[in-house]
Amino acid sequence: MRAIKGILLTCDAAVKQILLIMNEKESFIIEDLDDHHVVIKAEHEWRVRQDLESELEKNTYSVD
Amino acid sequence: MPSVQLNSHSENAEKKHIEHALLPFLQSQSQNTLTRLYQRPSSCLSLFRLLEPVERQIIMSLLWLESAIPQSTMNTWVNREGRKLYDEAIATLGRLNILPTNLTNKLALNTTFKMSFRQALTGGGTSGSFGVPAENDDKSPAQDLESLDSFALERWETILHYMVSSGTEQQPTKPSQGVLYLLQRSGLMSTFQGVLRITSAGFQFLLHSPHDQLWDLLLQYLHLAEERQMDLVEVLGFIFMLSTMELGKEYSTENLSGTQKAMLEDLRDYGLIWQRKPTSRRFSPTRLATTLTSASPPLPTSSGNSSGPQEGFIILETNYRVYAYTDNPLQTAVLNLFVSLKYRFPNLVVGSITRESVRKALANGITADQIISYLMSHAHPQMRKNNPLLPVTVQDQIRLWELERNRLKSQEGYLYTAFASQADYEFVLHYAKELDVVLWENASRRCFFGTLGGHANIKGFIERRAMGSNQ
Amino acid sequence: MDNSSHLSVVLDLSPAQWYQSPLSLDSFLAQLLVFLNAHIALKHDNSLAVFGALPDKSVMLYASSEPPMDTPATSDPNCYPPFKRLDSAVTARISEQLEDPLLDVTTPSAIVGALTKALCYINRLSVATGLVDPRILILSVSPDLSNAYIPIMNSIFSAQKLKVTIDAGQIYGPDTVFLQQAAHLTGGSYLHLTETSALLQYLIMTFLPPPSIRKVIAVPTQDKIDFRAACFCHKNIVDIGFVCSVCLSIFCQPTPVCSTCRTKFPIKTLQRLNASRPLTISSANNSARPTPVSTPRSAATAARHPPMSAESIQNGSGTSAVANGSGH
Repeated sequence: MRAIKGILLTCDAAVKQILLIMNEKESFIIEDLDDHHVVIKAEHEWRVRQDLESELEKNTYSVD
Repeated sequence: MPSVQLNSHSENAEKKHIEHALLPFLQSQSQNTLTRLYQRPSSCLSLFRLLEPVERQIIMSLLWLESAIPQSTMNTWVNREGRKLYDEAIATLGRLNILPTNLTNKLALNTTFKMSFRQALTGGGTSGSFGVPAENDDKSPAQDLESLDSFALERWETILHYMVSSGTEQQPTKPSQGVLYLLQRSGLMSTFQGVLRITSAGFQFLLHSPHDQLWDLLLQYLHLAEERQMDLVEVLGFIFMLSTMELGKEYSTENLSGTQKAMLEDLRDYGLIWQRKPTSRRFSPTRLATTLTSASPPLPTSSGNSSGPQEGFIILETNYRVYAYTDNPLQTAVLNLFVSLKYRFPNLVVGSITRESVRKALANGITADQIISYLMSHAHPQMRKNNPLLPVTVQDQIRLWELERNRLKSQEGYLYTAFASQADYEFVLHYAKELDVVLWENASRRCFFGTLGGHANIKGFIERRAMGSNQ
Repeated sequence: MDNSSHLSVVLDLSPAQWYQSPLSLDSFLAQLLVFLNAHIALKHDNSLAVFGALPDKSVMLYASSEPPMDTPATSDPNCYPPFKRLDSAVTARISEQLEDPLLDVTTPSAIVGALTKALCYINRLSVATGLVDPRILILSVSPDLSNAYIPIMNSIFSAQKLKVTIDAGQIYGPDTVFLQQAAHLTGGSYLHLTETSALLQYLIMTFLPPPSIRKVIAVPTQDKIDFRAACFCHKNIVDIGFVCSVCLSIFCQPTPVCSTCRTKFPIKTLQRLNASRPLTISSANNSARPTPVSTPRSAATAARHPPMSAESIQNGSGTSAVANGSGH
């Protein structure tokens, strides 16, 4: 039996896919659990959130 | 897409059921404190007015009875559909020690409360709890209502304006040390790198109605008074007394206790009372104080100028444009929390609600619901003709922007995997479930995720088991 | 549910009736003032108006929207100022009115006048500020005045239109038919007090809860309502009436011409109706008119619910007695 320390991310399927692609660049995923859950290394959480934010930001358009 | 339409009617109905912020505080006090508080007729009257309508009627029905009546007798007056409300009311009154629970299944008011409240209704007694009026003084006549209002407004807006512009380049007037301490103590502001900055609780506070803000601060003041070893009964009694006083009259400080005299300075800083000078032996309550237990607006005109009707000044269009008919710097600053402002005219501020401006507000800890309810409560009379009040598209979009921010939820903990057998897995999982620490599980992969807090227990459990099987 | 509410109280101050009542006017007023204070206490924004019905005239005694001028006596550290103002204004105005030497104590009091004033006042406030759930409470000690039937009915209709609830309490004397109907038709509560020792408790349990609270805590309602009407010709309260089929005016006996709308009825119909009149009732109608108490309510054959049509009267009474117009 093993216990691995990490952070459980709960997200929707689309975000999950973006996370997987980001993982290819720089690995941070410990375990890919299912469509909505993934366990990542705790120290990467802040960076992952930032990267995800800017990735999602690319898909939004504003009127100005 | 979630349907998030709200009609203003149901919103109002919901609001009515929220009990007054002071009541939980009172319920946490000892029976002794409460009974001492009920010795003053003015306290009973003010507290009575903070209660729910059904609770008020129950008190009235029991007030003039000399002996206790069986619960079953009272129950016959309750309609079946009102049963739940009635039971809740009885429970609340029990917690407030107004209707002490006893074993005999009979209802009777707390004797102290009964005596004082009867006295409040009939007048008489010698408690002087409604404030001793000051002798008329021809040399210095009482302040007129207008200057009292502007004093209260100035004090109150100084506090709010200081909060909203902290952390910006503006240098607004600083409120007194006492106020700053209270703001910090209540968590509405906190020191960040040596500078006092507004917190997310503070941002939420700014969007409340003046009435709620006032009670929020007074509640914090009560907590502070508790810490300072001030007598709560004196403090509350004074606040309640203020709420029964007459606007525009002067009262004497002679009959106040030491604690109450010490409160004068704090209450002056909040704008609740006016005094000619700190040593003056008389004081006048302002509108902030006299409307504490009523629904009328605590501030004369929320911006103190001539820019149109003050109860509402915001027009929101379906294209996310916001037109705010105000020249009040505080209102503009509050709007600036979630609107990107574009033009400013002498009596009008124009801006629009954008994704960026809402995200900035959300990052500050303001919720979508708070933005929407602020817009609703300050909507221009012209807007009130619309049903629903706010354009549904804008409401939905603000909520969607909030949802968008929460696409990723993270929880720290441990992933338990590589169990030797299914039985092993189920055994540990069962234990973890009993502790209620399981966040995710998958039987086919034989692993589960537990919270950080549960790890020590699970670890210990597995070790004990391993040791047991080794022997 | 927690809106401010308005209450207008109509007080019957007829000296002759109070003289006979076991409860003195002074002790009534003392308890009433506590009740009025309780209404103000319920909510800071509750409004109140008090009207007095005196012999042949009605006056407004107090209105919270127009508070009386401050007197030095209103500064009392032991009394909530609004209570003090209300109490002293009402007592002072009442004694001022009752001491009027021109007052003819035997004239019945003008309850309808006071009721109408109360309705006008509520209407004015509604237009200006938009009242929610306004209420009128009539506290009466006088018996029904049958010539007040038409104005009372008209007041009830206006109250219905204004969505005003009328509560009524008969503190002394026999049940009143008209106040029962007023309470019933506007969704209010009617109370006939037989026991005056606990007057305040009755007032608080029955008349203090605003309509929204009555959904939770019930107030006494009538299980039997006397629906009889007064005829237009002799102002008698009638058990069997004759209704003009054109304008629905009520008469105690068949008439050849309707006095209200001038419709002429054929002689034949008159004869038929006269023939069908039970003799006992017609004599009762003309001589001693039955008091509401002495007549069993189930026998109120011509129970005329005002909005009802002529047909329902025909169905309601076993001995059908309807004047048929033939003017068309």
